[in-house]
Amino acid sequence: MWREKLQLHKTNPIAALYPSCKFLILCLYAVCSFVLGSIGVGEGDYPLFLIPWFFVVPILSAASGVWKRFVHAFRAVLFIAALILVVQALLIPSEKVVWQLGFLRIYQAGLKSGLSLSFSILNIAGMFVWLFQTTENKEFTRALEDSGMNYKAAYVFISSLQMIDVLGKNSRTIMNAQRARGVETEGNMIVRAKAFFPSLVPLIVGAITSSEERVLTLESKGFDVNGPKTSLFELKKSGKEPLAGGIAIVVTLAVIVGRIVVWVL
Amino acid sequence: MGVVIEFKNVTYSYPLTDEPVIRDMSFTLEGGKFYGVIGENGSGKTTLCSLIRGFAPSFYKGELQGQVLVDGKPTVDYGPGELSLKIGYVFQNPFNQISGVKDTLFEEVAFGLENFGVPPEEIEERVVEVMKMTNILQLAEKNPFELSGGQMQRVALASVIVLKPDILVIDEPTSQLDPEGTESVFKIIEEMKKEKKTVILVEHKIDLVAEYADEVLVLKDGRLIRKDATAKVLTDMSLEKEGVQLPQMAILGNRLVESGVPLRYIPVTEAQACEVIGEAIRKGGK
Repeated sequence: MWREKLQLHKTNPIAALYPSCKFLILCLYAVCSFVLGSIGVGEGDYPLFLIPWFFVVPILSAASGVWKRFVHAFRAVLFIAALILVVQALLIPSEKVVWQLGFLRIYQAGLKSGLSLSFSILNIAGMFVWLFQTTENKEFTRALEDSGMNYKAAYVFISSLQMIDVLGKNSRTIMNAQRARGVETEGNMIVRAKAFFPSLVPLIVGAITSSEERVLTLESKGFDVNGPKTSLFELKKSGKEPLAGGIAIVVTLAVIVGRIVVWVL
Repeated sequence: MGVVIEFKNVTYSYPLTDEPVIRDMSFTLEGGKFYGVIGENGSGKTTLCSLIRGFAPSFYKGELQGQVLVDGKPTVDYGPGELSLKIGYVFQNPFNQISGVKDTLFEEVAFGLENFGVPPEEIEERVVEVMKMTNILQLAEKNPFELSGGQMQRVALASVIVLKPDILVIDEPTSQLDPEGTESVFKIIEEMKKEKKTVILVEHKIDLVAEYADEVLVLKDGRLIRKDATAKVLTDMSLEKEGVQLPQMAILGNRLVESGVPLRYIPVTEAQACEVIGEAIRKGGK
């Protein structure tokens, strides 16, 4: 009865795809992004195809039933991409100025490189967000182990993923502790920068010392024992993998053929 | 049962230190007995546990003189993971004793069994049994990272007990627990004793050691200054000078004897105190 409870029962067919199939889709998507990004449009040679292509990511996430989680995780990526776009557009000079306001100038070369970089990031990072929001950590572990990866390497991969949450929580605890001792952690950039080291050092040192105990824990629980391991959690294919993979391959081929056609014409 | 653990003139120092943490220690521990280890902070209790489990010197490195034998074989000769089926080790900080890769407590407790390749049906059976025993079954679906200290400590104990080792080394298992939780942990440990397991327990709560342990080892500055039956060690007032905290009942008994109340023996537990002091009062009344 317990074993049954531990299994995942996903109702959404996209989310239920086998992790390696999702990863294939991600790789093909990245290939398409590069191909589409190489098509220049208009007199500035802007990689405009990347922009409509990017809409695939949110649509896919919504169709996978993880819209809210996707938006939550994606905000940081969006911020970085926007920052890159602005910085590149303003700072890479070229002869042609597209737009000017006072001393701020957006140059053509800057805009081109900014668009290319920021939308490539949005596309690829967005797909990773989708992959991680639709796949549970234990699915990754099982998929990696089933694919023949060493169990130790799989452990490192998964525990690093888990670590992100744990370190986040720890850093909040440390921040609170430092605040209680009078370290200012809120305010302008300089105040925050000053609070950076007193918060970061205990976090990192703590993580290192706890890793020692983690090793001992694993050793006490026979992690290093040679011989076959068993698992309570079983990962099954949903049966839709050939279809999903097929669609991804067809789309990729179409994009590549399209690119060649544009090139030849 | 015979000797399961033997220390032969063991001196051990951690790397990059001059002073040994354990000095010239020799003793034997018998199978099926419950040993309490007491001593001040920094007296070497945790290092003693690491030595028994073989983490010192194989993991911590450092310098070991003499021999630590488990079932007649030096710990340094055991292969990786071999000792984990023989010796279950629960250490102090409960927060770092989780695998860090499991989403639910049930899987966390099952982690060790998975590593040993136990069939899933049996894993389920054993995990449910142990979780019932340690009273954490109602938390089975929680995330291991979201537990309180006390819950974590019981999880740490459960995930080691589930492996059914013959020897249990437990380092301060009740530091985060309330009195009720502490009592329940001792009940679990007593259960282990009934199953003929050897238990080595480091614990500061001396009244509980007095109640449950068969023998007590007293450490001071890395030396073993006393190893004897619980009642003998814990009634020895001279140990107070060595910084050992004696059970309240033993102190009371000693004071009563000093002031002329004839007690048949010095009690170390509440039950014993009730018995002997009651006897003395009844006699005095007549």
